Amino acid sequence: MQPAINKTQFFRQIRKKPLIVLGPLLIIAVIYYLFFSSSKQNSKYSYKVKKAGFFDRRPDVIPRNLPGDHISHYDLNKLASTPMAVYNKEKVLILTPVSRFYDDYWVNLLKLTYPRELLELGFIVPRTKDGDLALKKLEKAIKQVQTGKKENRFSKITILRQDTDSLSNQNEKQRHALKVQKDRRANMALARNSLLFSAIGPYTSWVLWLDSDIVESPPTLIQDLVSHDKPVISANCYQRYYDEENKKEAIRPYDFNNWVESEEGLKIAAQMSDDEIIVEGYSEIATYRALMAHFYDDKGDVNTEMELDGVGGAAVLVKADVHRDGAMFPSFPFYHLIETEGFAKMAKRLGYQVIGLPNYLVYHYNE
Amino acid sequence: MTKVYSPSSDFTSSHTSPLAKIVNTFKSRYPISIVGTLLSVFLIFRIIISILSNQLYVPTFAPGSGVEFYDLKNYEGLADGWQHEERILFCVPLRDAAPHLPMFFSHMKNMTYPHHLIDLAFLVSDSSDDTMGALVYHLREIQTNPNKNVRFGNIEIFEKDFGQVIGQSFSDRHGFEAQGPRRKLMARARNWLSSVSIKPYHSWVYWRDVDVETIPPTIIEDLMHHNKDVIVPNVWRPLPDWLGSQQPYDLNSWQESEGGLQLAKTLGEDAVIVEGYQEYATWRPHLAYLRDPYGDPEVEMELDGIGGVSILSRGKVFRHGSHFPAFSFEKHAETEAFGKLCKRMGFKVFGLPHYVIWHIYEPSSDDLRHMEWMAQEKIREQEEAKTQKIYDKVWKEGFEDVTKEWSNDRINIFKNIDTTKFTKGKSAKAKIVDWSGSDTFQPNLPVQGVEDKVAAFDPNKN
Repeated sequence: MQPAINKTQFFRQIRKKPLIVLGPLLIIAVIYYLFFSSSKQNSKYSYKVKKAGFFDRRPDVIPRNLPGDHISHYDLNKLASTPMAVYNKEKVLILTPVSRFYDDYWVNLLKLTYPRELLELGFIVPRTKDGDLALKKLEKAIKQVQTGKKENRFSKITILRQDTDSLSNQNEKQRHALKVQKDRRANMALARNSLLFSAIGPYTSWVLWLDSDIVESPPTLIQDLVSHDKPVISANCYQRYYDEENKKEAIRPYDFNNWVESEEGLKIAAQMSDDEIIVEGYSEIATYRALMAHFYDDKGDVNTEMELDGVGGAAVLVKADVHRDGAMFPSFPFYHLIETEGFAKMAKRLGYQVIGLPNYLVYHYNE
Repeated sequence: MTKVYSPSSDFTSSHTSPLAKIVNTFKSRYPISIVGTLLSVFLIFRIIISILSNQLYVPTFAPGSGVEFYDLKNYEGLADGWQHEERILFCVPLRDAAPHLPMFFSHMKNMTYPHHLIDLAFLVSDSSDDTMGALVYHLREIQTNPNKNVRFGNIEIFEKDFGQVIGQSFSDRHGFEAQGPRRKLMARARNWLSSVSIKPYHSWVYWRDVDVETIPPTIIEDLMHHNKDVIVPNVWRPLPDWLGSQQPYDLNSWQESEGGLQLAKTLGEDAVIVEGYQEYATWRPHLAYLRDPYGDPEVEMELDGIGGVSILSRGKVFRHGSHFPAFSFEKHAETEAFGKLCKRMGFKVFGLPHYVIWHIYEPSSDDLRHMEWMAQEKIREQEEAKTQKIYDKVWKEGFEDVTKEWSNDRINIFKNIDTTKFTKGKSAKAKIVDWSGSDTFQPNLPVQGVEDKVAAFDPNKN
C-alpha cells in the first residue's frame, strides 16, 4: 500500500507545482536546440538523396565496398608508341562512331590480325531510331565474340550513347548537301570527342579511327600503319563499284578529306568570316587542293608517304600522345576547318606531322 | 465506388441551364463516374505507352564480358548533383608540391560534397622532392580512416615528366618571358591528366591547385549550384603588412575587351598574351579587381579567359573536346585559352567576383630581397638604439641644460634691439613703429647671476 500512496502524492505535487517537471524539461530542450540542432540549420545545402523517378533507368555507377587503400598508380613515362607495337605489347584502341551497322564492317574488323588482348574497341551511337537499330545489331555481334573463346575476346569494349541530339534521317543525298555539312560534321566531331575522351586510358598507345562504313581493309592494317611510326597517318579511302560502261568491277576514290593545302585554299579562308568552313568535294568552293584520293597509283609502292594538311576519318592511326596533348576534333570552325580536317590542323599546331599513304587502300561501303 | 472529378457535374449543381438539363438526364441514365474512370485509365495508359516508346534501347552485357555501356545523357551534370549521386572527377596537377600537401589534405577531409562520389586524379610531374611519397602517405591515411564517410571514391595517380624550361620559384614562374612556353607545358600536363582520368560517368570535373590556403568546405556545392558549364571563384592572396595585407592573385580570369582583341590582331600566330604584365596592356576587366568584400557572393560575371586555381566544369565540357590548348589559341594558352575554347564551343563560362578563396603567399625574389633588407635594418636599428643610449648618457653628463636660462636671457638680450631693421626687403622701411609707450617702459632686471659649473664627466664610469 505504501508505494501507491507515494505515487498519488507525487502526482499531486506535480499538479500543484507543474514547473517542477516542466522547468528542467524546458531547459533540456533549450540546451539541445542550442547545441545540436544549430549545426544542422547552419548547413546551406540539403544532402538528402533524391531518388530517381519510376521511368528513370539511370544505372548505378557508384563504387561500393572499395578496399580502403585502393589507389591505382600509372607511370606514363613508360608508355610508348613504337613501330614494334606488337612486340612491345602496346595497346591499340579502335574507335568507331556508328550510325549504321554494316555486317561487312564487323567481319572485316574480326579479320584484323593484331592480338585481341591488346585491342580495345569503342563505339558511339546517336540518339535516333537508326542508332537504336545499330546498337541492337552491335550488341548481338559483340556478345557472340565476347562469350566465345577467351583468346578471341577483345580486352575491353566501351559503347556510348551520344548525349547531343543528332540530325535524324540521313540519306545519302541529304548527308552530303553543303548546307547541312557543317551541322552534321559538328555533331560528328562531338561524337568522336566524347568517344575518344571516354575510352582513352592511361595504357593506350595508339588510337585507330575506323569508320563504320569501312568494309574492307588489309588484315594487317594496324601493323602496317604502326610501322611508319608517324604521329598521325591516314590510309586512302576508295570504293568498289560495278562499272556499267566497261562491264566490270572497278574502284573509285571516295574520301576527299585527305588533302594538301593550296594557295587558293588559304586565299578563300582569308576572305571567309570566322564561322564559315571550307569542305572538299563541292564545286561552290574550288580550293584546288591536292587531294590524296587522286594520288593513288596501282603500280606504286604501298609505303609511299605524303605530308597532309587535312585528314578524313575513314582509317587514321594516331599516337595516343597526340590526343592526350589536346588534339581533338573541333566542332566549330578551326582555321575554317571542322571535325577530322580541323583535327589535322590542331595536331599540326601542336607540332605533330600528319602523313598520308596514297597507295594504301581501304574500301568504303557502296550504298 | 470510384470517384472521378468531372467538371460537368460541378457545373450542374449550381446552374440549371438547358445544357445542364441534358447532362442531368444523361447522368441519370449512365452513371458518369464509370465513363470518367474508363477515360482516365485510357489516358494513363497512353502516357505510359508514350514514355516507354520514347525511351531508347539499352543493351545489357554480362558483368564479366569486358563490355561497358553508358548513356552520356545520364551524366550531363545537374545543379544539385550531390543529391542525385553524381560523380565528380577531382583533378590535381602536382609539381614539387610535398610541402603543400598537409594543408591540401586538411581541406580535403573537410569537404562536404559526399566523399564517395569524388574520384581523385593526381598528375605528378618533374618533381625533385618526394611529392609522390608524401601523396601516397596522405592518401593511405585518409583511405584507411575508420570513418568511411571520409574516404574518397576511385583514386588514380599518374606520373609523367614533361621536362621543364624554368624553375618553380615564384619569380621564375611569373616572369613575363617565361610565361608563353611555361603555360604551354602546363597545358600539356593538364590535358594528359584529364584525358586519362575522365570516365563516361563523371558528371562534373573539378580542377584544383594544391597551394590554396583558405577555402570553404562547401566549395564544390557553392560552384555547382550556379548551374554553369564552367565556373571559377575569385582568387586572392594574403600579404605581409608591409605589402598591404591582401592582393588579387589570379589575373587570368577576365572578360575580353576591345583593347585585347586589337592587341591580338597585331601579334603573330604563335604569340601568347598573358594577363598581369605591362608588356601586354589589354584593359580587360579582371574578375579579381571587381571584388567587393561586402558584395553578394552569389553574383555572377561572364568571363572569356579563366585561371586554373579552382575550376568547376561539367564533364561534358571535356568529353566534347574542350581542353587546355598547348598551342596559341586565339593568342592565348592553357587556362585562359580553355575559357576561350569553351566559349567557342558554346559553353557558358562564369566567374564569381565576390566569392573568394585564398591562395598562399609566396614571396617573389624582389620580396625576398626586401625582406632580407628589412631584417638587416631591424638589427641595425637595435644597434643604433644601443649606441644612442650611450650617447644620450654622455650628453646628459657632459653638458648642462640651459634652455630655461636662455628663455629668460633672450628677453634681456633682445630688448634693446629693433628687430624690424633685420627684416629684409623694401616693405621693411615702410613699417611704422609705435614708440608711444617707450617712456614708461620698466624692464625686469635679472635677479640671479650665472654660477660657474665644471662638467663632472668620467669616461670610465659610463
